[in-house]
Amino acid sequence: MEIEIEEKSPVIRTAEYCMNLEDLQATALSINYTGQYLLLAGRRHLALKNLYDYTEPLKLFNRNSKFEVSCAEFAICNNSSAFCAIATSQLIEVLKWTESSPVLEYSLRAHTRVVTDIDWHSKHPYMLATCSIDTYTHLWDLRDPKRPILSLSAVCMSGATQVGFNRVSGNFIATAHDGDLRIWDIRKGSRPVQYITAHLNRIHGINWSHTEESNLITASQDGSVKFFDINNPRRAERIITTPTPSPVWRARYTPPAFKEGLVTIIVPLVGSESGENSLLLWSNSKNSQSPICSFTGHNDVILDFAYRNDPYRQSNDIEIFTWSRDQTFRVWKLDKELQKLCIQNTIETENGESALEYHQRNSTQPSCSLQHEFSIIFFPSIPGIQKYELDTDKRNAMIRIVANGFIIILQVIFPSGYPFSSPPIFEFCPGTTLDDNLSLKLMKSLKDSSASRVKKGKACLEHCLRALVSDLKKETGGDKAHYLRLQSPRLEGALSKALSDSLIPFPKTSGVRFNATGILVTFARPFTAKRFSLRNQTTTPRALSALSGGYLGNVNGSKPVFYPSKDIDRKSSTGVSICIYDASKLLMVSRELAENYVIIPTNLPRMCRKNREVAEEFGRADLVQTWSIAETIALALASSDFELSDDEMFSSPNPFAKTFLEALINHYAKLGDVQTAAMLCVTFGRYYQEISSRTSSFSTKSNTSQSVSPYHTVTAMDVNSQSVIKYNAWVLAQHLKGQTRSNSWSDSLDDFRINEVNRSVLGESNRNFYDNLKKFYADILYCYNLLPARALILKFVSSPAAFSSTVEFVTECQICKKTSKSPSCLHCKKFLLYCSYCQLPIKGSANSCLSCSHSFHTAHLLEWFENHDVCPVAGCRCPCADNFGMT
Amino acid sequence: MVSVLQTLDSGHEDLIHGAEIDYYGLNLATCSSDNTIKIFDIKNGGQRLKADLKGHAGPVWQITWAHPRFGNILASCSYDRKVILWKETNGEWTKYYEYNNHDSSVNSVSFAPPEYGLILACGSSDGSISILTCNTETGMFDVKKIPNAHTIGCNALSWCPSALPDSTFDQKGKQTNPNNGVAAQIKRFASGGCDNAVKIWKEDGDRWIEEHKLEVHCDWIRDVAWAPSIGLPSTRIASCSQDRRVIIWSTEDFALWTPTILNTFDDVVWNVSWSLTGNVLGVSGGDNKIFLYKENNDGIWSCISEDAENAKDVRHT
Repeated sequence: MEIEIEEKSPVIRTAEYCMNLEDLQATALSINYTGQYLLLAGRRHLALKNLYDYTEPLKLFNRNSKFEVSCAEFAICNNSSAFCAIATSQLIEVLKWTESSPVLEYSLRAHTRVVTDIDWHSKHPYMLATCSIDTYTHLWDLRDPKRPILSLSAVCMSGATQVGFNRVSGNFIATAHDGDLRIWDIRKGSRPVQYITAHLNRIHGINWSHTEESNLITASQDGSVKFFDINNPRRAERIITTPTPSPVWRARYTPPAFKEGLVTIIVPLVGSESGENSLLLWSNSKNSQSPICSFTGHNDVILDFAYRNDPYRQSNDIEIFTWSRDQTFRVWKLDKELQKLCIQNTIETENGESALEYHQRNSTQPSCSLQHEFSIIFFPSIPGIQKYELDTDKRNAMIRIVANGFIIILQVIFPSGYPFSSPPIFEFCPGTTLDDNLSLKLMKSLKDSSASRVKKGKACLEHCLRALVSDLKKETGGDKAHYLRLQSPRLEGALSKALSDSLIPFPKTSGVRFNATGILVTFARPFTAKRFSLRNQTTTPRALSALSGGYLGNVNGSKPVFYPSKDIDRKSSTGVSICIYDASKLLMVSRELAENYVIIPTNLPRMCRKNREVAEEFGRADLVQTWSIAETIALALASSDFELSDDEMFSSPNPFAKTFLEALINHYAKLGDVQTAAMLCVTFGRYYQEISSRTSSFSTKSNTSQSVSPYHTVTAMDVNSQSVIKYNAWVLAQHLKGQTRSNSWSDSLDDFRINEVNRSVLGESNRNFYDNLKKFYADILYCYNLLPARALILKFVSSPAAFSSTVEFVTECQICKKTSKSPSCLHCKKFLLYCSYCQLPIKGSANSCLSCSHSFHTAHLLEWFENHDVCPVAGCRCPCADNFGMT
Repeated sequence: MVSVLQTLDSGHEDLIHGAEIDYYGLNLATCSSDNTIKIFDIKNGGQRLKADLKGHAGPVWQITWAHPRFGNILASCSYDRKVILWKETNGEWTKYYEYNNHDSSVNSVSFAPPEYGLILACGSSDGSISILTCNTETGMFDVKKIPNAHTIGCNALSWCPSALPDSTFDQKGKQTNPNNGVAAQIKRFASGGCDNAVKIWKEDGDRWIEEHKLEVHCDWIRDVAWAPSIGLPSTRIASCSQDRRVIIWSTEDFALWTPTILNTFDDVVWNVSWSLTGNVLGVSGGDNKIFLYKENNDGIWSCISEDAENAKDVRHT
């Protein structure tokens, strides 16, 4: 049973009549009382269409206003049928249509902000109500148009967005404020008689019942339509929700002549399919939860609709007129069949048969006839279909589809068993511009969907074609027609689901950004683009809603928001919008210096002298001085027996050097000159000296005084992994630059026994700070792609880098199969590696051949492979020398 | 001295909302109201359009580059409530990951310092902040969400740099645990929103908790920028707001933040950006002007250019 419900799909109707009015850019639609005239009102024109005679050309009346028409309504009494109220910005104009042209009868001024809705009284020909963002709802009597006869003040933050007179008695008015409804009794004056918390989100439409005095419906952003009885406002009598929870823009009861119906406009969510730009007809029955009919065809959001009773065609069919953002107006019919479905739905709830089943039995039963299937598909209504040829005798069809720049020529062959036993055969014919991957994908989904339809004995061509086009659009992206543009007043609010645009910050149109190498990129709004402020607003608005809430009355069409018109030469308007600056000089870190600075740890005075020359060469007089001083200090240090002095200040040959250097480094760091600060740290801080493993035994002489230093706790293994990390970073960097280097890392392990020689002039207390400076400078060098310089700087960082979590070298014990990082197995206390050359266990630095897995003392490895290429192990012919990079 | 390297015609059909140069200064990415992102190769003064990324169904508000160690990755956020990560493989830009668990426009995206891994924070008008952590081995994303981080909406995000000196971590501790230096660092980021507050968030176990709420601004915060740390004891955040002010917040211990009002501008301020070493601050706003501020030796900030155009004449000492 549940499957049945899911399968229910509404009857699909297409338009009876469609007219494209591209230039009109109308935003409001209304039909007069007699049903003779259709008014389309826009910023520039009022257009009148004679509905008695479609051939009569459209009458255009220029009105060149700065502001969009937010609402236009013909009066709904016979006496006043020539009157029409049009709201633009804060003003309401009441026009009287004479034979030749409209005459401005009254201007109603009382609102202080944009008027959002107008409603005429259905009994009093001179009475109308208007509501506005300024939160007020005014009642006007046209016989006294100077001021409103009644002003209803909703003491709340949110403006009134909709107003509606009760259709039965005309005594009540409903107004919508965000998600709340207020019901007013015009006889009782200025306080609401009911507050209804109808929706959690903004209400877009209110409509009173034509028959029941206390009933009304609300359409909301939250994707539901609720039925309320104002005498029992606690809970909604009935709630219908849209299939996908898309906002409902309008919901209106069908006119009395068409019973039990309700028509809604859905605003499809951003990026959804065009099929959702449709009117939906629902039954008023409490049990009906899915729409009865879907009027499809519009390619964009429907802005408004109106009913029309056609008195001259001798039929009781109601027509619906729609105006959409795709700039077309269409006419649809509510015929007897739909009426039947609507009523049936109410009755059938008793005998348990759904209207749709009924409908399907009655309308799609003859789908076995191919001819019939073809005849009921209205091809132009399927987007993207350009040309089609159907041949019922040969039982095939050729269809040309164009979407997103792709062309599909599809051949469909219908086997005789179609649609009951065998699905049609689809084939992409030559001329199709799909790549293999895409065509396979589309073909698969075609087959799947046709097979599933045919399994149920249903015709599938239209279904498959629609699915094909939408799949194609989905796969290839960029379905331009549905890209959101901030253009239509108020509608934009409906397009964002959860929160209205008033909470989304106003778009940034200028910006500034530094990158890591000192490049500054800026962009700004071109001068031809509009300024956003109003006269009375000195600063730029804060929220996006300012764009659509009436500040910019003339946002129009599908053109980009910010440009005044399409005529502007884009090239000149956007030409200089992005600027890229070299701001590196401002940042006190210079690439030239970084490239040319030298680091000679063994000869500090020479290093300082060289660097002074570099500074001189690039015109940095300020740094020349610094390096000169540094040279003086370095000379003094070099002349003393520095290695033994450690960092005790008083035994230092130059007691002022330490404080002076520290102050100097601090000064440069504060200035942001990391380069100089880090170079000074490197020059006078502690550093490592690399000595080969053979001399390593001499290297611990200064360790006694170094209990504060962590380095002597660093094992050989740790140092190795540190180097691995540097190596990884280096390889990665090389890789990123698109270069390749041969893999030869083992040579760096040869003499990796590192010993620290403490020559620090700088104190221990700030070590962390100095390390950070060095690391930061190293990062800058990395950006400059000066990788050797970076690695050299990092050598002077005192704390080892974080261990790599991805690469780790462990040795597996041959006896207990446990892994260990130390030279001996922790479990069985046996040594793990034996040198294949001297047969002794390896405790120090070791190398293992990755192909024959023989290990060597690094020293022995060097010794052997100096003269040989092949592994020294008896019988092993492994060309280890290659693996060690020794050849 | 600032010199113009080049000017660029983005070719976007609508206004640009963001322009960002990658780590090495080789690529420029721009995003626009025309729903697209364009990537230009600007190496050696060239400006070749490399890619035109279409995938958003609404204006793209912001873009940001990931650290190159993760590959060429760009993150974008849009009005259509989506966050998309784009990745370049063999010169082809494709969608790498799409995140659409926000209920409203996503206004800001920001990558964490690379030491923490590939982590992206996204701030949305639905008030929440999402932290997307990519497991680079599996390519899977782990999502943590801070619901209701800012009432009404979150407009900006910026991560705390990782190289900050950690005062709680003394040297003794360092010795016994030499590899703790980076691993033990607390992840923090700053966010600004429509509640007029700048908030400091800190990771605590597997949760993010609000460490501080800085309230001086009297209108929506539009941007926050955490200054890069070169190791000085104090750390700074710049924030700018609809109230036309730029405030620099500084702290030494993450407990007490001292605000300094940099300036009150003529129009709302939209962007703040620190230079690499944190000594220059770029500011831009609704009046279409770009300002550069520089701090002198005594900690006084002064404007060194009203527009980057004029900055050509400014020489540093």
